[in-house]
Amino acid sequence: MATDNATDGGFGEVSRVRGIVFEYLSLGASVAGLVALGVLLVYVAIDAFDLADASPEWLLTYFLTLVVPFLAFCLYSAGDRAVTRRALGVLGGGLVAVAALFTAVEAFVVEIPRLSWQLTYLFVVAAPVTAYLAYVGSRGRVGAVGFGLVGRLVGGAAIGLAVGTLFLVFDELVWFLAYTLGVFPAAVLYAYGRWRSAGRAMTAAAPVGLVGIVAAVFLRGVIATYPSDLLIYIWTLAVPIAVVGAVVVDGRGSRIAAAAAGGVPLAVATAGGFLAGGFGVPGPTALIVLIAVGVPTAVYVHRAIDEGDGLIGLGLPFLLVVGALVGALVVEAWGVPAPDPWLDVGFVTGSPSRTAADAGLYPAIVGSVIIIALVAVLSFVLGVGTSIFLEEYTAESGLIGSLTRLLQVNIANLAAIPSVVYGLLGLGLFANLLGLGFGTAVTASLTLSLLILPITIISAQEAIRSVPEDLRRGSDAMGATRWQTTKNVVLPEALPGILTGTILALGRAIGETAPLIMIGAATTVFSAPDSLFSKFSAMPMQIYAWAGFPQAEFRYGVVAAGVITLLVILVGMNGTAILLRNRAERGN
Amino acid sequence: MASSHDADTEGITRRKSLATIAGAGALALAGCTQSTGDGGEGGDGSLSGPINIAGSSTVFPLMSAIAEDFSEQHPDVDPDISSTGSGGGFSNYFCVGETDFNNASRQIQEEEEQLCADNGVEYIELIAATDALTVVVNPEADWIDSLTVEELATIWESDAVETWDEVRDEFPNEEINRFGAADTSGTYDYFIENVMGERGHTSDYQATEQDNSIAQGVMGSEYAIGYFGFAYYYQNPDQLKALGIDDGNGPVKPSLDTASSGEYSPLSRSLYTYPSIESLGEEHIAEFARYFVRQTTNEDLVAGDVGYVPVTEETQEEQMEILEDAIEQAQG
Repeated sequence: MATDNATDGGFGEVSRVRGIVFEYLSLGASVAGLVALGVLLVYVAIDAFDLADASPEWLLTYFLTLVVPFLAFCLYSAGDRAVTRRALGVLGGGLVAVAALFTAVEAFVVEIPRLSWQLTYLFVVAAPVTAYLAYVGSRGRVGAVGFGLVGRLVGGAAIGLAVGTLFLVFDELVWFLAYTLGVFPAAVLYAYGRWRSAGRAMTAAAPVGLVGIVAAVFLRGVIATYPSDLLIYIWTLAVPIAVVGAVVVDGRGSRIAAAAAGGVPLAVATAGGFLAGGFGVPGPTALIVLIAVGVPTAVYVHRAIDEGDGLIGLGLPFLLVVGALVGALVVEAWGVPAPDPWLDVGFVTGSPSRTAADAGLYPAIVGSVIIIALVAVLSFVLGVGTSIFLEEYTAESGLIGSLTRLLQVNIANLAAIPSVVYGLLGLGLFANLLGLGFGTAVTASLTLSLLILPITIISAQEAIRSVPEDLRRGSDAMGATRWQTTKNVVLPEALPGILTGTILALGRAIGETAPLIMIGAATTVFSAPDSLFSKFSAMPMQIYAWAGFPQAEFRYGVVAAGVITLLVILVGMNGTAILLRNRAERGN
Repeated sequence: MASSHDADTEGITRRKSLATIAGAGALALAGCTQSTGDGGEGGDGSLSGPINIAGSSTVFPLMSAIAEDFSEQHPDVDPDISSTGSGGGFSNYFCVGETDFNNASRQIQEEEEQLCADNGVEYIELIAATDALTVVVNPEADWIDSLTVEELATIWESDAVETWDEVRDEFPNEEINRFGAADTSGTYDYFIENVMGERGHTSDYQATEQDNSIAQGVMGSEYAIGYFGFAYYYQNPDQLKALGIDDGNGPVKPSLDTASSGEYSPLSRSLYTYPSIESLGEEHIAEFARYFVRQTTNEDLVAGDVGYVPVTEETQEEQMEILEDAIEQAQG
């Protein structure tokens, strides 16, 4: 703005009006979109959690036991009086303003359906303030420790559940053999080689692993007796994760701490796995979740204690859990009318049903997670491979150069093709011609991988192109081959950009419905798929079917719960990918 | 060299000790094993296997309700249901042998029969339920209560009238706002065949596969009219006003009774499902088909939960005979 009103010399007066108008227009454009999205999400959340029926007392109870302590924690961590004053001012002033404004609008303009001023306050004032304070708090040492711990608890549980889901379709017996015969010996050889700096052992690791895995696939049909599932998971997942945790701690601290960081979570997870059956939870799932939560948490707590700063932050999970428990206790003791959310445990673990109260999304969740996992791998490998070839290996001029440019234009055009067309391609190519089956998880993942491939390729190309040419030349000058340059210089440098593109593309793939309908994916299945070649349903398919049910509870309750579930899984997936990307960025 | 020699000897002892530990562990765990021998499953005569079902979105809620109960009783049977529309289900999946059942809100058409025959797919026709196509108007529209079949045809034929007073003189002079089924749907085919006949279907209407959208549209305007399956109206009777239909014997309102007795004519129709005879050769599919036919008289399920009219006992017996014949033919 400062340059706009330069009035000296012979330039005369420059009008600022256009600049100001432009600024406010762009502000308006961004606000309009965000507000519309925000209103949509608020209503979906209200439907999914039945907040319209939440009494003000219920909201107040949880606000006092859960939100207020959390805000206090953030303010304590920030340790800034000005922030505290501002936050209290906004919370207090917002209360009065929202109440007055809401009542005025209801009285004079239009009645606002399914919202009360308390809910409006929650969404318009309390939620943004909480988010802001969480951000400010996380920059203090105490907050960083607390959020790090909560993140590991939640993230570990999510990863554990995701791994457990994948083992629903992948044969754990093959995995057991492959791990025992291939992965485990290879890892031992490699670790031994590093420890003793024995180059031969390290080089032998890859072939040994490969032979072992091939042998495993062959032996799967021959061997008939295996350990129970729980033992397989303990041996192939829990023990290695615990060992890795112990090694990490060992690198920083004492042997005893290392043994505890690996051993305690392993013992807890094993015990949990054996006892879980008694509570109706599958043992292997309990084991995987406990170990995925336990080991990172133990390692993190050890590090925090080691650094000895902001230890009080470790109390954040207890604060939240105690807050929730006290809230539940108060609600129970005083008989406060509580809402009956559609999105509850029964919804995410149950099967679809004709009655809204029993309806569940579990088979569709599993279907979506499996497809997305496959799509992520396929599109990453194919996309990165194509873009490296196009950027690093093809000639830029001559006949080959022209062909490459033609290919480029075509890839860019493919990104604009409607998804239904990809569905038709999947139906014709994968389902019919290759015989991979109508509506199977394999057909669906291949189709969706093709669908997002152009986006992955283009963004990966951009990322590779943005690696400075100097770096490549420097690597060349040191005598590196093109493969070494690509592997050691270009890829690490481009990885964050490549991951960003892949994350965006995956977000599109998880929400696609049209290609799934074309390849014959089921609208409704009642049990989770148990192999890659069984029929499956995906979340958007099931949600769309519910939206057509005549009962209002489906359209307003169950559909909203499904949408929130889809969003949570999408955000979780993106969050994981973004964390990975940030790691890669910091690694550089 | 010396150090590498050291490493080797130490490696061997390590490997040995590892092997010893692994051996001991294996012995200790020998009790917790599973076996994957062939033929171990289903030995107790329980049913298992997938059932692929596609077809009409009208029959979809009924079929999924029945499949839900069946899969609860037989947890190893995995029914999957796709809502593809009657025609889409026949031509893309059923007649090329990909699905075991195809649901339809009308009878199979000649081209589809031909396609099935070309691919050697044989089938039987089972009646799933009775539906009453419901013609609805805005609840505010107190000037209209019923229409004759002829009046209905003038509203929906391809050369349709523009305003309500052209339908009947005492109606207001307001434009007609039409909401109906899309041309991929069996409901659309049925409506043409039984109301307009050769006169075709107007294209001046909002076409959709979703009953909810039709209902929303009709609720939005006092001079709107729409038609869809009975289920939506049955589950939300206060949102819309159903018109009586006069087929020459005075106006009849759609209801479970009038549709079942056939009084609500010509808009009460049968809904079908077509099992493939080859599939019926598999025991779990045959059992599902029997279960399906038994459930078609279940009033709580068909009428209460879904909103269609259960078939009569006699129809059910006939259907069961057809089915048993087909199963016998398939299983030899």
